Amino acid sequence: MLAVAVAGMISGNFTWVPAALIALFMSATPSILRRDLKILLPLELNFMIVLALFLHVVGGFSGFYDRIAWWDHLTHVTSASLIAVLGLVVVVSLDKYTDRIELPRAFLALFIVMFTMAVGVFWELMEYACDQLTGSFLQYSLDDTMVDLFFDAFGGLIVAAAGDYYIKHASEERFADVLDVGETSERIREIISKNRGRK
Amino acid sequence: MESGRTPETKVSQRFPQRVFEAQLSWISSMVLFFATVYVFLELDVLWVIFGISALSLYVLPIVTLRDPFAALPWEVTLLLAMPIFLHISEGSRILSGDTGWWNSLESLVFALSLSTIGFLLTIELEMFTRVRMNRIFSAFFVVMFTLAASGFWMLGEYLGDAIFGTNNLPSNEFVMTHLLWSMVGGVLMGILYASYLKAMSEKRRSLLGLISVWEVTSWKRS
Repeated sequence: MLAVAVAGMISGNFTWVPAALIALFMSATPSILRRDLKILLPLELNFMIVLALFLHVVGGFSGFYDRIAWWDHLTHVTSASLIAVLGLVVVVSLDKYTDRIELPRAFLALFIVMFTMAVGVFWELMEYACDQLTGSFLQYSLDDTMVDLFFDAFGGLIVAAAGDYYIKHASEERFADVLDVGETSERIREIISKNRGRK
Repeated sequence: MESGRTPETKVSQRFPQRVFEAQLSWISSMVLFFATVYVFLELDVLWVIFGISALSLYVLPIVTLRDPFAALPWEVTLLLAMPIFLHISEGSRILSGDTGWWNSLESLVFALSLSTIGFLLTIELEMFTRVRMNRIFSAFFVVMFTLAASGFWMLGEYLGDAIFGTNNLPSNEFVMTHLLWSMVGGVLMGILYASYLKAMSEKRRSLLGLISVWEVTSWKRS
């Protein structure tokens, strides 16, 4: 990711730099928070972040976006799946560590699909706003937008299915162990009970 | 008014306000019902799905509590019935041709009812399943549900255009305007519904007898 940022800087593709840095920051957040380099995101998650970024940058670098018709769809599926996975992690943590929230698996699947779609719609709205305000040309046509949304939904569905399987079969404490959120959850609980006391 | 808190004692006649509210709610649901029948006869698939989901959310508490007075609050029912009514009414069709902002209004009304469905989902899931949410999560769910349902709706319309050769989605700008209004409506209603139950007077809430479940704050994982 650092390499992508440097490459972007050198080759003049400055839009890559923030994307790469954000991705780097995101995957390093746990380590930064706990000041411990041994704590990493789950390998699968880190891989997905890199993959989504990598496909995007490779697409821009080599002109695949323009030359290969389905490249845009591929990146949409990967980035939508990434969003869905991040949503899944957040929601599973909420389920585990907040007393008032309990989300059965079927609801999680529904939530992931809806969440991914909502982010997809929001993304298209941002593209539209960007086109209107700065005169850029991100949205080519109605067909293009709708196919984008379709692949966003597709990515969400995949992750909902995979996430369902993962939660069912992976050891329950996996997220918690790897992220070491045990202590964080204690803090969250403290904050919540404090807020309740105030009311 | 104390005994109004127990819906199973069918003494509704003694509480005129409750009867009046329930009647308003039933009338709104009738609009919803006949509009759904109409779109069903027209084979308007998306609106049939919308009507049936809204109707089932309306009927579910009445059937499970076996109390016709456990109807949803009338303003909620009215919001559910509004967009489908606008969709089938001829006057609205004429207005959408003549008046520039009519389409935006329809989109907004549609968003309001989508967020209402999201809100009812949060309530009824809590009533009838193991799902539990807190206030912030519910509000977030409402906004998210509105945006996502709107997106899926547009996909459905697009597929419909492709399959049946209709022209429901004339341009990218049309879709984006619709989605933009969905977002505005969703966020508004998310904020509103976050405080809706809190703002409702204790008396009315107990008269409705339906959604007090959501207010149980001392819920603990068993």
